[in-house]
Amino acid sequence: MEIKILGGGCPKCHRLEAVTKEVVEELGLEAEFIHVKSMPEIMAYEVMTTPALVVNEKVLSSGRIPSREEIKSWLIDLKK
Amino acid sequence: MNIANTIIDLLQSGLGGLAAYLAAHVLLCLLPAFFIAGALAALMPKEAITRYLGRDAPKWISYPASALGGFVLAVCSCTIMPLFASIYKKGAGLGPAITFLFVGPAVNILAISFTGVQIGMDIALARVILSIVFGVTIGLLMAWFFRKDDAAHAEKTNNNNLFSGKAKIPTHTIIFFVLLLGTLLAGTLQIGLFRNVLFEFTVPGSWPLKLQNYLDGLIPPDPSLGIEGVSVHGLFLIILLILIGLSAIKGFKDIYEGFSTWTYITLGLITLTLIAASFFVATADQGLVIGFNGRLISETLLLAGVWWMMAKKFEENQRQEWLWETWRFVKQIIPLLLVGVFAASIARALIPAVWIQTLAGRNTIWANLAGVIFGVFMYFPTLVEVPVAQTFLSLGMHRGPLLAYLLADPELSLQSILITNSVIGKKKTAVYVILVAIFSTLAGLIFGWFIR
Repeated sequence: MEIKILGGGCPKCHRLEAVTKEVVEELGLEAEFIHVKSMPEIMAYEVMTTPALVVNEKVLSSGRIPSREEIKSWLIDLKK
Repeated sequence: MNIANTIIDLLQSGLGGLAAYLAAHVLLCLLPAFFIAGALAALMPKEAITRYLGRDAPKWISYPASALGGFVLAVCSCTIMPLFASIYKKGAGLGPAITFLFVGPAVNILAISFTGVQIGMDIALARVILSIVFGVTIGLLMAWFFRKDDAAHAEKTNNNNLFSGKAKIPTHTIIFFVLLLGTLLAGTLQIGLFRNVLFEFTVPGSWPLKLQNYLDGLIPPDPSLGIEGVSVHGLFLIILLILIGLSAIKGFKDIYEGFSTWTYITLGLITLTLIAASFFVATADQGLVIGFNGRLISETLLLAGVWWMMAKKFEENQRQEWLWETWRFVKQIIPLLLVGVFAASIARALIPAVWIQTLAGRNTIWANLAGVIFGVFMYFPTLVEVPVAQTFLSLGMHRGPLLAYLLADPELSLQSILITNSVIGKKKTAVYVILVAIFSTLAGLIFGWFIR
């Protein structure tokens, strides 16, 4: 599983990364984390607001930090 | 006069400015403003505004929506650039994107409330109205100058569902914002309804007067230089403010782990401080006069409303995000602001008033242009432009050029010009910068002419 955090290094992005990492550990998943910071690369996705969470090239959330439960349900769905 | 004396004078001037500033301005204005900014960042569904910024949105909707978006969404600088780039490349196009970029930094809630309290409501209002009018005008002009590019752009833009969100702002969120805005207005507006003392009593004793004399000796008020001095009331509030800062470090840092005892202590202290600041307090020969006024009653009711809504109407993670965002703003802005105020107060003692008066004492084109150019080359962190402007004002700068400076400073720092350049390219950036410079100069000139 490839998890990308989009965002120019603002505190929210770090927070999103931390929360997602915790969920990944809790579910015992194998995941690679990539922090995308450059604006053109971010703009290649369908997002307008950062931080955004992208898993396997699919945008799951943007402009907010989703709750732990939300992230958990997304990751479980994607694992299937 | 020897060097040591000069340095002591300077430090005194800096500390005096800082203390007066903390007591008079930070509290009733900045404390609520930080919570509003935090709430805008945390509780406002962004899609409620971006849905009006799509490619197919008609002009009369997309431009006002961009201006509103600037106010609501721009509270976080890390959100503004991707939004700007999206509106430009995938949404409504260059014009609305420019409007959004222009309005954002100038009309944020922190900057406006702060300008109003420290410099005057006339300048604050002028800042809001002119920023919105100019934001839309400059956006329209840019769209017209580069209409060919924009048309080509629109054709390349594929249909996308970026802007198709259908979110609405929930009613309870709107009421919550009204209450928050109410605490800010009730705390800062200098009108009879809030000011008039309904009844008062005196705490007898000679200590208040002694303490006041001591404070005046420590930080001598000097109205001619705009140095306010610190009252007994102010000293009490400064102490409370320091306590808030200390408990917030423990209470807000790990807010995502849940509300701790320290969180409640911090929120309690903030409430106490806002209420304590609303009382009318004066020192007299017989003791300390304490008066109840409309401000006290309205602040108490509004705060009760805010906390009740927060407890009943919002979910756990929304409460946490709100406090976290608020704390993030405080951490990001307050340290720079304190240094800025201190430095600006020292500068007030160093810069000869004659310089400022010769350069910008009258409302001329050159004086306004000087204000704009100073704004471009001096990069001050968010909000620091306000104490800097106040220093200029007390040194004799005309209010016209002062407004020109305040409009240009947040828009045109070298840093923001570079970032804009990376999104829309050199030519468009150059035109944008020139337009902003011209409009800010004109704004100062017109405003200065009006208030004469």
